[in-house]
Amino acid sequence: MTEHILSIILFAPFVGVAVLFFIPNEKLLLVRTTAAIAGLIPTLASFYLLYAYDSAAGGYQFTEQYVWSTDLGISFFLGVDGISIPLVLASSILLFTGVFISWHIVDRPKEFYIFLLILAAATIGVYVSLDLFFLYFFYEMSVLPMYVLLGVWGSHTQGYLEMADRQKRDSVGFIFNFTSNSKEYAAMKLTLFLSAGAVVALVAILIIYATSGLNTFNLVELQAHGQVPDYLHGLLFLLIFFGFASIAPIWPLHSWSPVGHAAAPAAVSMLHAGVLMKLGHFSIIRVGYTLFPEATREWMPLAAVLCVFSIVYGGLVAYFQKDTKYVIGYSSSSHMGYVFLGMAALNVMSMTGAVLYMFAHALATGMLFAVAGFVYDQTHTRDIPSLGGLSSRMPFITGIFTVAVAASFGLPLTVNFIGELMILVGSWEIYPVQTIIAVLGIGLTLAYLFRMMRGVFYGPMNPHYAHVHDASPFVDRLPLLVMAATSIYFGLFPSQFIHVIQAGVTPLIAAIQGAGPVPPAGEPF
Amino acid sequence: MPFTFTMTPADVALLMPEILMTGLLSVILILDFLFPRIGKTALAYLSIAGMGGIFLLLADYFVEGRHGTLFREMYIVDPMAIFFKAFILGTTILVFLSSIDYLKKVPAFRGEYYFLGLLGALGMMLMVSVNDLLSLFITVELSTLAFYILVAYLRDDAQSNEAGLKFFILGVFAAGLLAFGISLIYGETGSILFTDFAKMQAHPTPGMIIGFLLIFIALGFKIGAVPFHAWVPDIYQGAPTPVTAFLSIAPKAATFAILLRIFMATLGDIKEDWVWLIVAISAISMTYGNIVAIAQKNIKRLLAYSGIAQIGNILIGLAAASKMGSDSIVFYLLTYLFANLGAFAVVIIFSNLTNSDNLEDYDGLSRRSPLLAFALLIFFLSLAGVPPLAGFIGKLYVFAAAMKEGLVALVVIGGINIVISMYYYLLVIKRVYINMPKENTPIPVSFPMQLVLITTVGGVLLLGIYPKAFIEISVAATELFARMP
Repeated sequence: MTEHILSIILFAPFVGVAVLFFIPNEKLLLVRTTAAIAGLIPTLASFYLLYAYDSAAGGYQFTEQYVWSTDLGISFFLGVDGISIPLVLASSILLFTGVFISWHIVDRPKEFYIFLLILAAATIGVYVSLDLFFLYFFYEMSVLPMYVLLGVWGSHTQGYLEMADRQKRDSVGFIFNFTSNSKEYAAMKLTLFLSAGAVVALVAILIIYATSGLNTFNLVELQAHGQVPDYLHGLLFLLIFFGFASIAPIWPLHSWSPVGHAAAPAAVSMLHAGVLMKLGHFSIIRVGYTLFPEATREWMPLAAVLCVFSIVYGGLVAYFQKDTKYVIGYSSSSHMGYVFLGMAALNVMSMTGAVLYMFAHALATGMLFAVAGFVYDQTHTRDIPSLGGLSSRMPFITGIFTVAVAASFGLPLTVNFIGELMILVGSWEIYPVQTIIAVLGIGLTLAYLFRMMRGVFYGPMNPHYAHVHDASPFVDRLPLLVMAATSIYFGLFPSQFIHVIQAGVTPLIAAIQGAGPVPPAGEPF
Repeated sequence: MPFTFTMTPADVALLMPEILMTGLLSVILILDFLFPRIGKTALAYLSIAGMGGIFLLLADYFVEGRHGTLFREMYIVDPMAIFFKAFILGTTILVFLSSIDYLKKVPAFRGEYYFLGLLGALGMMLMVSVNDLLSLFITVELSTLAFYILVAYLRDDAQSNEAGLKFFILGVFAAGLLAFGISLIYGETGSILFTDFAKMQAHPTPGMIIGFLLIFIALGFKIGAVPFHAWVPDIYQGAPTPVTAFLSIAPKAATFAILLRIFMATLGDIKEDWVWLIVAISAISMTYGNIVAIAQKNIKRLLAYSGIAQIGNILIGLAAASKMGSDSIVFYLLTYLFANLGAFAVVIIFSNLTNSDNLEDYDGLSRRSPLLAFALLIFFLSLAGVPPLAGFIGKLYVFAAAMKEGLVALVVIGGINIVISMYYYLLVIKRVYINMPKENTPIPVSFPMQLVLITTVGGVLLLGIYPKAFIEISVAATELFARMP
């Protein structure tokens, strides 16, 4: 049983998809329960994974390998290390909670859950793949369900109804048409952006495949014996970095992300911000860091520069948004900058912090999006100025939102605090300027989240929304409680987590440091 | 040279699939004439059963690895030929299944339709076995002859007539080029056998270069590669949809068999001299096909342009000019067969009910028929190259082959084209899933069409998720290029 645990985690949602095909849309409860079970199994298995991982031994564990094609050198090779376990756990939790968050969807719920399960399973697939082919396979597979999920079950973003020019409003024809507010436009932009990024990474993967002299996509073998010519390392690292960073999303490749968040239904926004964006960081670490340690050391300072733009730009833009989901979307872009900062500093402390922060952010942003989605369902608006005073009508939701806000700016007791602290402490020696800016960025987070909290939940109440009610006892509260509890639990008892992550990070950093001296401390940018 | 003609039983066995096929099409024709009252559907099922038997025979030959040459090396039977014969038969079977309902709209000559389809299939089965230029000419014309008539089969439909005429005129023009090329090469070398050209190691003379270029142009016309593509959209749109589906797959596969024989087996030693040509044609075909497809308002025209782009993708494998390149071509053709035929099957089902091929009418298909919409989603995403579907593995395979030969630029262009193509495939998916339907009548799917859909969806998923067996078949089919790097 335990030797196949990764298969169970990966395939449980796919089995759910297969079962859903045979359930008619009319049997609503059965559809929802099936999806919930398909999300529960990986969640429980992932918790087991976290505690069963032997962090003293380190390395890739729970490996499973099956030959897929000898002619192409592809094997179905699964395995996790300390870096992927937190992300697998985050994906499973967000899938499970996402099923409950979207409980009230009535338009073709079966199809919705099918695409949601495919999305989450593909994300998990990236995290557990140790074969470059399958890593790419699942990566690309996770992008496409987003198109349908946004297009069918999403909502138009702010300003859509006010736009007079209908043709322009509904146009999906122009990728750089910044005035279009339709969900179709958001979906198309997101898909094309991410596919373009994926293709850039694909070119790099194929060059690695063709020049390594091994005729294999097996990542472990490529790490050990790959003979990619030295002069290609820098180029390949950059291709991988920018290919995958477009989903991360690093400034200036971020523009698909807030509009995508805003148009998506709540559960999809959660998965999107919570785990889909982390595919970028993870793939850069899994492919770029492990295969090209020297190029990593050479080029990550570039990320240290770009991440500052992400943090400051995302934060400032978030402050001036009127749409709740845009605020959270830009805040996610901004927070991903912290992960890049931690990754760029290249020491054990900051990298561990970065991985932990990815997990923490998944939960925090998941709660934020869930609450925003709940408010939207009740009021049918995401316009902050027109909302207000909802706390008297929804005390429970307000409470969860408070926890989410506290987690987002890294209040102690939440796991975000530990991650953020480790990133900042770790990167202080290497990039003091960026670290100071990042600390200021936390102030910015505080500012826009409190502004949104005041605007939505406090202040005078718009009598128009007097009819709204609080979360229903079980179905609506369960997912929120699960996320809040997990966030606080690991904030109080992070040691198992940190041991596991460090087991994955330490050898990686040792390999990179072994490749040459660290960038001198104190060098600006 | 005195004419001697001897055939041993082993030789007859090599030719057995074609002999059986000839027998089958004669039976169909005779039955149709002798018993005019016989149901045309019965004729269809009889042809399908016959072809199924021949398909099994070919599968047996393939497993056995049977090979040999006939008629003084003019006709060659090897694993590649056997594979392509089976491929063409498989396509024909699926096309016949999709024709059964569609033909109810055709006023007369429904029996001859199956006869002509079988004739075209026979021509293509012979075509993949040719080893000399004269047989090439004859078999190419034999298969095209059937298509000239099939394209114009809807005799009361102006578009179909126009398509037939256009196809005929351009086809005859291409035949002229082919004949001219053959005469030039014969004049320069005094031989028409492919195997003889392979022995001439020196660089070709100008006459030979022009000759091969002309032959390439004629074959380029058959596969519809840019700049020989002008006929494709009009004829795809005008022809009866099952014929379009047939035309979009079988002749292309057969022509790729010829291209493999000419370029890889015959001219493989001087590949530096021609690779640039294939690279250029491939890049232009992909880019042109994908960009023009964006503007289409008719689904058959959209599939026509997407087909041009797919041909460009397959040509990447030819440009790689390696064993892996030829494997990837064979595998890509398999993925293309399932995805493209499936897409056309959906178009046929839809037009049987609505008599329309306009993209506008596909609005809200998902609310009218969820399964049909899901099938279309799978086929289009496969054509776009999205995992876990067949097209993704096919694209990755040709890209990997090209990358191994150092064709980085071509792979980059191919990658950019994936993104472009995704755009127009997703626009159709937007119509199907997001837009609201104009009317709400459900769309019935008849039994033969269900068979087609199950086969094609199954093929697309199987080739995308667990293609091991099919990759091994592709590798075995192109055994003869093993000496290539």
